[in-house]
Amino acid sequence: MSDLVYHALSVRQTRWNASVDALRAPCYALCLTMAGFSTIARESGLDFWMTLSTSLGIWGMPGQVAFASLYSAGASLFVIFVAVSLANMRMLLMVISVADMMHLDSHNLSLWKRVFWMHFLAITAWANVAAAQQKYPPHLLFAYYQGFALTIFAFGILGTILGYFLSDLIRPEILRIVIFVTPIYIMLMIINARQKANRLAVIFGGALSPVFFPFAGEWAILLSGVVGGSIASLYSHYIAKWHLETAE
Amino acid sequence: MELTADIYGWVGVGCAILGTMIWRFAGVLLAARIPADSPLMGWVNTMAYAMVSAVLMIILAHPIGVLATTTIEQRLVGLAVGLVVVFFTKRLMLALLCGVCSFALAVTFF
Repeated sequence: MSDLVYHALSVRQTRWNASVDALRAPCYALCLTMAGFSTIARESGLDFWMTLSTSLGIWGMPGQVAFASLYSAGASLFVIFVAVSLANMRMLLMVISVADMMHLDSHNLSLWKRVFWMHFLAITAWANVAAAQQKYPPHLLFAYYQGFALTIFAFGILGTILGYFLSDLIRPEILRIVIFVTPIYIMLMIINARQKANRLAVIFGGALSPVFFPFAGEWAILLSGVVGGSIASLYSHYIAKWHLETAE
Repeated sequence: MELTADIYGWVGVGCAILGTMIWRFAGVLLAARIPADSPLMGWVNTMAYAMVSAVLMIILAHPIGVLATTTIEQRLVGLAVGLVVVFFTKRLMLALLCGVCSFALAVTFF
């Protein structure tokens, strides 16, 4: 149910509110997360401009981390393309679902403008727009998304820039704690998924990948994703029958 | 040699960007056409979640760089504390703080 107070807001006020929501906490975590990525990228041998371009152009942590580690291993370009595609495959679903939430079609944007705005979509923005549905009417959600996503994008890029030079400023004992923030932050966010099937998939995917990794290498990601996701899907559909429960 | 490494790096960046862009582009094209709650969509979604989780666990179990100077037990303590806190409180930032602090304590004192 959307709150009546929020119904009366203008597009501009909604964008502002969304930026304030981002400034409450998510943007700092993103800043640290991207600083963590930047340090990994630097250790993988990527120069500053490549690291910055990776954040600007990919804007999806798992794919960025996969790229950095494959780069350091000297993987072939085809493997880089496939691995990053697989690691960021969720973008497809996140874009479809967020476009549906925001009634993106009703904003009459050209294809390229839609692609441009969806570039700023990552897990944090997606999860926050989903939460904002409880307060804001659908016609304001796109404005909310713009305010929120651009704010965390700015902080993420700032984190990328600062993080690249952080290893010179911070002792390794502290730095490894900063780097630890990245995987834990995302893991905690995805294990908190609303759908039970997705939470189960997180458990299966996470449990399988360290098992597959010693003999499958980078392909462990694809293997764990397909096997773990399929088991979670089959279990939830045919055994638990969660889809028959009340929606959400 | 240096130039070759540079070209490899930049073409790699391009491949990585393209590898992400195709999904966003496809998502925009398909957004109006696919019912988000169909079983097929549910399956693809679970695979995406499992894949992200797989990447993260590889980072935690087989880290590269400075994180590799910590032990698997220390990293698992941080993960476990974060998971327990998020499970009971549903508060992401609190869980993140507890998980990271536990990891910091573990690497400092054990």
